[in-house]
Amino acid sequence: MVAKYVMLADTTRCIDCKACEVACRAEWDTPLGHSRDWVKQVEYLNSKGMPEVQLFPGRCQHCDDAPCVEACPSGASWKREDGIVLVDDSTCSGCELCVPACPYDARWLNPVTNTISKCTFCQPRIDQGLQPACVATCVGRALIFGDANDPNSEVSRLLGEKEWQRLITDEVNIGPNHYYFTAGKAIPQEVMPKLHERHLAGKTIENIVNPLGAIGIGGMMAVFLGAGIKKLVDRRKDVSEKEGSHEQH
Amino acid sequence: MRHPAQPGSASRRGFLKSLAGAAALSATTLITDAHARINVPHDLEELKDYEEHWGFCDMCYWRCGLKVRSRAGKAFKIDGNPEHPLNRGVVCGKGNSGIQVAFAPNRLKQPQERVGARGENNWRPIPWDEALDKVAHELNKVKEKYGAQALVMIGHGTWEKPYHRLAHAFGTPNTTSPVFGLCCGPRGVSNMLVAGKNLTGNETIDLENCKYFLMMGRNITESLHNGETLGWIDGVANGAKVVYADPRYTITASKADEWLPIRPLTDHAFLLALINVVIKGGLYDRKFVEEYVTGLDELAAKVEKYTPEWQEEITTIPANTVRRIALEMAQKAPAVFVYSPRRLTRSSNDLGTGMSISILNSLFGVWDRKGGIFTPQTIKVPEIDLPEFPHAHVSREEAHGDFDFAHNPFAVNEEGKVQRADGAGVPGRWPLANPQYGLTNEMWRAMAGQDPYPLKALLTAGGNGFTNSTDYDTVRKALMNMDFYVATDVMPNEMNSYADILLPEASYLERYDDLQTGGAREGFIALREPAMQPLHDTKGSWDICKELSKRMGLETYFPHETVADMLDDRLKKAGYSLEELKKTGIIKLAADDKVNFPREFGGKSVFPTPSGKIELIPSQLTALGMEDAIEWEPQPTPNDGEFHFTFGRVGFHTHARTQDNIWLNYFMPENELWLHPIPAEKLGIANGDTVEVRDRKGRGGTIKAKVTHRIRPDTVFTVHGYGHWDMRMTTAAGKGLADSELASDTREKHIGSISMGTSMVTVKKV
Repeated sequence: MVAKYVMLADTTRCIDCKACEVACRAEWDTPLGHSRDWVKQVEYLNSKGMPEVQLFPGRCQHCDDAPCVEACPSGASWKREDGIVLVDDSTCSGCELCVPACPYDARWLNPVTNTISKCTFCQPRIDQGLQPACVATCVGRALIFGDANDPNSEVSRLLGEKEWQRLITDEVNIGPNHYYFTAGKAIPQEVMPKLHERHLAGKTIENIVNPLGAIGIGGMMAVFLGAGIKKLVDRRKDVSEKEGSHEQH
Repeated sequence: MRHPAQPGSASRRGFLKSLAGAAALSATTLITDAHARINVPHDLEELKDYEEHWGFCDMCYWRCGLKVRSRAGKAFKIDGNPEHPLNRGVVCGKGNSGIQVAFAPNRLKQPQERVGARGENNWRPIPWDEALDKVAHELNKVKEKYGAQALVMIGHGTWEKPYHRLAHAFGTPNTTSPVFGLCCGPRGVSNMLVAGKNLTGNETIDLENCKYFLMMGRNITESLHNGETLGWIDGVANGAKVVYADPRYTITASKADEWLPIRPLTDHAFLLALINVVIKGGLYDRKFVEEYVTGLDELAAKVEKYTPEWQEEITTIPANTVRRIALEMAQKAPAVFVYSPRRLTRSSNDLGTGMSISILNSLFGVWDRKGGIFTPQTIKVPEIDLPEFPHAHVSREEAHGDFDFAHNPFAVNEEGKVQRADGAGVPGRWPLANPQYGLTNEMWRAMAGQDPYPLKALLTAGGNGFTNSTDYDTVRKALMNMDFYVATDVMPNEMNSYADILLPEASYLERYDDLQTGGAREGFIALREPAMQPLHDTKGSWDICKELSKRMGLETYFPHETVADMLDDRLKKAGYSLEELKKTGIIKLAADDKVNFPREFGGKSVFPTPSGKIELIPSQLTALGMEDAIEWEPQPTPNDGEFHFTFGRVGFHTHARTQDNIWLNYFMPENELWLHPIPAEKLGIANGDTVEVRDRKGRGGTIKAKVTHRIRPDTVFTVHGYGHWDMRMTTAAGKGLADSELASDTREKHIGSISMGTSMVTVKKV
């Protein structure tokens, strides 16, 4: 069976030490000011009037119905069979339509490469049998990564043992593959996903670009203004010229 | 982001080609290509090749085992060594940021000599030979004029060892590390007095199996040491109850079952009441006490007055809470632990606090039991053969320079041996202080006051007296008093800005260092080897000391040509070799329950005190006339409008030494002053407002306010290590407020260590 990769975050074991963030930065050389992963610290008063703090490690949730893939006009954003949402750097035009599409704010334009960056579940590492960098370094062993389709995996065992929650709302329910254990505590609104207005506008354009939808050349040209689309077109030509050099997905 | 092994070059060529034909681009092409979107084969990233090098971390003092990944002679990623018992493969945010120590733009990159007045922070680069010649010449000059004891050496880092050796070879007794007098001293002394064991350094607690943690301000998730923190988290996951006492609701508090917002400086009162309840209620481990403990009756009489009701007045913790905790712990004993704070330099009687903790743990019989304190194992690695170290002597009658040694009874002992200037281990001064590390706080005073004898040269290996001590004026005066000051470090900081010669250390990723030999459940020897070529014109401390020793006639103390030779020599004495250690990075002696927990297997505990037993009334204290140290001593409290000033750590900084690290600075560019909403409202302060904080001496500055329920209304807090003013630290300088400008510099009355928690401050909106 094909793998289905998931990330578990046991928030009771997270201490916000930032190891995951720095490990990711070192591993993928992400520029300062941006990060592929994060820890959100939420403090509030509980019903007894006492302070509480919850910590939420976060990153791309590698959603089953990933709106970022849908929003990507060039096809650079894609979802691998094992569930990992990736961005093909050589195809990405840096148009940023996918950025507001993500209700978890996991995507950003890398100013060095001018392409979109995000968590890949450390695809190059896991393809070699290694753990994602954030998981390998996690001081509290709060992050656990693995194949939920493998009944013998640690994630399968943990998913069965504990009550896990996902960051889902009535408005945003797109099948995230990131699970959270909070020992029964409700997840604060601050970490819940939110639809972005800019994305709604972007969706209209996406429908136009989609050849199965209504075609409006004028609107389409507006979207494709700039060099990004040329990069896309030529990338495709280039790929078709040396077909067979890479696996099809 | 540079993706490895991406066949992007071909597509980029295609992209350029297409630019030439851009005019041909038509709407039709676009539509066709859009159709083809879902069929595009995608590039996948691949990992590039790398080499791995063994190391242990230098970002804090716990020293986790590392595997450092390098490519083309440059380190790019630090991973944990899963085989290392101190971190079991994990590395914290600080450890991961070690890359940005090596690559720090602000590093000290070549030897420099002061230009202009001392402390003006102007420099000119000089060649190594010239710098080393000068250092040797100036140090020998001071020795000739004042004697070897006029040299003070202060070290703070894993690389300080050869400087201690150099200073001892030189003949001075005045070497010191802040770890004792500014940090862990009182808890180490307390355990030594009560149990004959130090129980500090790398904690020897069976965290995973402990069932009840009473954390006395031990903020284990933020003042964090990977293996210790992970063990504690495992223990909590395994069902341990956590009671956390701290005026502040830290991340550790958020993991606890119960937070006790105790009044600052009053932990001792709370602990005395616990002892009272445990003894009176017969809640102690009777069998253990009978076999291993002396002084129970005497202690019972002493704590008679310290009732739970008595402590409630002082600590604000309800009396019944104390009774309940005593009972709960007794039920879980011996798998319980009263956890001392790491830094126990707070009040005027930290010894009393520390001893109360040692006593409680002993009453619960935790020694050598599962879930309690284990006996560590070590692999003995002998030191290299060295000549005897000389020790400065002066005759009391002899005129020594222009100083009369007879004037101060503490300057030399009966045999004319010069005593430590900070008084550590000196009868009549601070006999309880460990002379191996000394009292750094008292050494600054000795240098500033030139008392008990002239101190004229300073050698520092890392550290920053301005930010780890709490008296700017004393530290500055001490530095200005020196005839000569040589500083060695990787990074610039306020203290080394006062040096005459500044020697740049290689970072810990660029060098060999001495072996790491530790005591955990497993015994181990770990290796630090270079993971990359030196980026700058720097040297490691062993090479610097070797070069200096040649110029100072002390070369017999540094007999090896290279550090690697020295490691091989040491390892061969222990029956191993460097070649062997390089293969695995660590040599281990497997954990052994029978050695670690002898009393679980019918074995005996060993307590190397004078009586061979746990001494609840320590005989060494009685001999010094200090048996009253166990008694509560009232602590300062804030007047109307004042607050207790407290400071502490976040998980992603080590002391005041990582704020300039660009990867760590990112998380919190400046610190804030935590203030409870009730006083904040009274003072008209809103979250994010800039406020002015002043202590009773008028010291202080401005800082942003964080208004939060996570602190007692009578207390303010800020994160340690901010507010740097050395403009060479371009990332950290000028950001936040230095807690060292507000924390107190009073003394612990028995040990002589510093008390940093007695400062009271006022806060107002600016």
